Amino acid sequence: MTAPLLDVCHLTHVFRHGRLILRAVDDVSFQIQEGEIFGLVGESGSGKSTVARCVMNIYRPAKGSILFQGIDICDPRQRRANQKLLQTKRQLIFQDSASSLDQRMTVAEIVAEPMAIHRIVPPRGSLREEAKFQLYYVGLGEDCLDKYPTELSGGQRQRVAIARALSMEPALLVADEPIASLDVSIQAQILNLFRHLQEEHGFTFLFIAHDLAVVRYLCSRVAVMFRGKIVEIAPTGELFRDPLHPYTRALLSAIPIPDPQAERSRPLPPFDLPAPQGVLTEAAPGHYVLRSP
Amino acid sequence: MSTVLYCLKKLAAFAVSLLVLSVVVFSIARLAPGDPLVSYYGDRAEKMSPAERAWAEERLGLHDPLPVQYARWLSNALRGDLGISYKYKTDVLEVIQGRLGNTLLLGGLGFLLIFGLSLLLGVLCAWFEDRLLDRWICRIGTVSSCVPEFWLSLVLILLFSVTLRLLPSSGAYTIGHAGDPADRLRHLVLPLTVIVLGHLWYYAYMVRNKLLEEVRADYVLLAKAKGLGKGAILFRHCLRGILPSYFSIIAISVPHILGGTYIVETVFSYPGLGALAYESARYQDYDLLMVLSILSGGAVILCSLIAQAVNERIDPRIRAGEVGPLV
Amino acid sequence: MSDSRFTQVGIRPLPPPLAPAPRRRRPCLSAFLLGAILLGCLLCDLFIPKDPAYMDLANCSRPPSAAFLFGTDTMGRDIFSMIWSGGRVSLFIAFLATAISTAIAVIFGSLSALAPPWLDALLMRLTEILLSVPSLLLIVLLQAVLGQPNAVTIAIVIGVTSWTSIAKVVRTEVRQIRSSEFVIASRCMGGGFFHILWRHLAPNFLPSILFMVVMDLRSAIVAESTLSFMGIGLPLSVISWGSMLSLSEKALLANAWWIILIPGLFLIVTLLCITDLGNRFRKNANRKESNL
Repeated sequence: MTAPLLDVCHLTHVFRHGRLILRAVDDVSFQIQEGEIFGLVGESGSGKSTVARCVMNIYRPAKGSILFQGIDICDPRQRRANQKLLQTKRQLIFQDSASSLDQRMTVAEIVAEPMAIHRIVPPRGSLREEAKFQLYYVGLGEDCLDKYPTELSGGQRQRVAIARALSMEPALLVADEPIASLDVSIQAQILNLFRHLQEEHGFTFLFIAHDLAVVRYLCSRVAVMFRGKIVEIAPTGELFRDPLHPYTRALLSAIPIPDPQAERSRPLPPFDLPAPQGVLTEAAPGHYVLRSP
Repeated sequence: MSTVLYCLKKLAAFAVSLLVLSVVVFSIARLAPGDPLVSYYGDRAEKMSPAERAWAEERLGLHDPLPVQYARWLSNALRGDLGISYKYKTDVLEVIQGRLGNTLLLGGLGFLLIFGLSLLLGVLCAWFEDRLLDRWICRIGTVSSCVPEFWLSLVLILLFSVTLRLLPSSGAYTIGHAGDPADRLRHLVLPLTVIVLGHLWYYAYMVRNKLLEEVRADYVLLAKAKGLGKGAILFRHCLRGILPSYFSIIAISVPHILGGTYIVETVFSYPGLGALAYESARYQDYDLLMVLSILSGGAVILCSLIAQAVNERIDPRIRAGEVGPLV
Repeated sequence: MSDSRFTQVGIRPLPPPLAPAPRRRRPCLSAFLLGAILLGCLLCDLFIPKDPAYMDLANCSRPPSAAFLFGTDTMGRDIFSMIWSGGRVSLFIAFLATAISTAIAVIFGSLSALAPPWLDALLMRLTEILLSVPSLLLIVLLQAVLGQPNAVTIAIVIGVTSWTSIAKVVRTEVRQIRSSEFVIASRCMGGGFFHILWRHLAPNFLPSILFMVVMDLRSAIVAESTLSFMGIGLPLSVISWGSMLSLSEKALLANAWWIILIPGLFLIVTLLCITDLGNRFRKNANRKESNL
């Protein structure tokens, strides 16, 4: 097994709000191999986005380490030494494309912004040409180039955000619920786009979602988060076939059955679960679950 | 937080701000070049011998270093002795007392009129957005907002006092008719008109624009879908949404309106605090200036504190505290 | 790569773009008038018939006539000539004062918004106290410190006493934008402080302060004329729109309406043009349709 692209070890992050202390992420560890789509699922407030933001160095974690291509990004010295690499090889896609794109820039400017920041000489002549190429890559025509984000639909905007992230040819794409704010039909398009990018070009994703069906369709491995802890990590197929942790079971049972009769007659599983305790233990090869020691 | 604690905290903030304000005003007034003896002794000050000057300065306490002077002023002030006006040669409080009522009448009435009329006009404009009424209100507002107050005063005097001889051009009452309310009212009409016209449009616009923004929010669509009428949406939802920010703007605009009264009072020779402040600043009448500055500054601070408190009661978002910085 | 590949992965062709919104009326008239006034004031030496400072004591308070187009003031100066050369002084003061106050406001506002909370609170307290000191006192103090008033000192006085409202707006805007996702995205991509300030913050707060800056220009003109009128601005000998009007008290007694009305109308027309131009900056933001 080669060294993982991203190695998150015992990551802990706390938010302080006055005297209130909230452990948003509590001792989370996982690894992402090159070329895989790693899913991170959980309900709202379970700490998924916080993990993503720690990985992107937006938050400074309280404890733990994050290794990206062997660089400890939580160490200020190492981070500064590899700043340029980190800023180009990691890219983030936000949930709400309306607020992650500057409304006062045209699409061409938005897509070319990372290149402008890093003063990369555009291989296709001009930044505009470059933007056009990237847009084509995600299925947008050149008539979008001079539009403003407000003039685009949600799906188009999200594609612009993806094009911007792709323009640096990143090694890791962190997608923070990229489809949650889209219509279902558009969701499918964006999902297909992600899958296409992964299959054709071998991008690595950290894909954050709260929709299990999406994760099942897209991801190769899945981690389930609950109240700041990872309760189960497994290859997608195995997780859906044989969920071990009670929370995972509850979550899976929440997927609606596309048959009204069966859906109505099925019993609702208990929803109240205590805060998760214990350590991750390997139940089957590659299948880890949080258990009391 | 309990209400008592909350009030105490606000009171403490008010006291500290007043103290800082008094220090600032005191040092500004004393550091400014100028000869206070001139304002006390008039022309005689220039003919004084050095010994006489020294004696006079000693008597007025101008010899000591600034902090000592300030400390003396403060301890006297806390005992109710606010010093004497160099120009009027009487107790500061007496000088102010005679004029406070006049200014309160003028400023207070003006403030109420501006506040009420601007809400009314703003709501009217929002109701008839882009229709004839709205457009004409805006047009008249634009023109009137371009007229400087002193010029408007001059034109009104020219028209109503000099040409038509309808209204008096100066003073607060005709000599001998001090107790006659009708006479006072007649003297108030022109200054009040100038103050209200000078500020009304600015605030009416503010209300209008904020309302128009508010009307574009999604919840309006929801309220409409629920079947609420236009008036109910505008008054019960939109107006309520803009009131907190309107309150704070109105509150922080108190100095603006106060600044307007001193121009108007000077032009109309209206015996109020504004004209007095203008005089005292020009003639280095220290003690009087101190008290007047603290009075107006205190009013400003008080108003912004009230606005804050009202905001915190009305708008739950502010009370909840701010989100921490990310950058 | 062909288009069919995209159809294959589920991407449908885009719908045709909507027709662009119709252009709104441009403020031609006010731009023209303002341009004419600006040019006239700049080039006044070429066409004014009399020396604006010359006091023709034989012709005091003459009503408008062929010899004196706009009449003379109570000191016998030709009002037509005074308007143009006085406008030059007034507009110079206004522009300088606006530049000073805008610069202070932008620097102070963004500094305060990006600073740690304690510094931000301190700076805001400072502005509040500055706001609560009556501006009259500040103006008189500054005058006294700067010495004999001239155009530059008046501009400094006006600029230094009028920046707080813009600074507050800049601060609020920057605070709102600084943690929005596109700024975070830009930071993740490696955008430095100045890149973010220039590309993201400034374009976003500029439209909201542009209008205020134009209004500031307007209030600077008003402030100059008011100060000069009250006798704490430019002296009578330096001709500006304000100092011309400071003779109005005497004109009132003489019922000489032209001394008051004509310079005032000029002032107002200029202010109206500036306002009209300023309003264009503001209205473009409001494109959405009303929900009401």
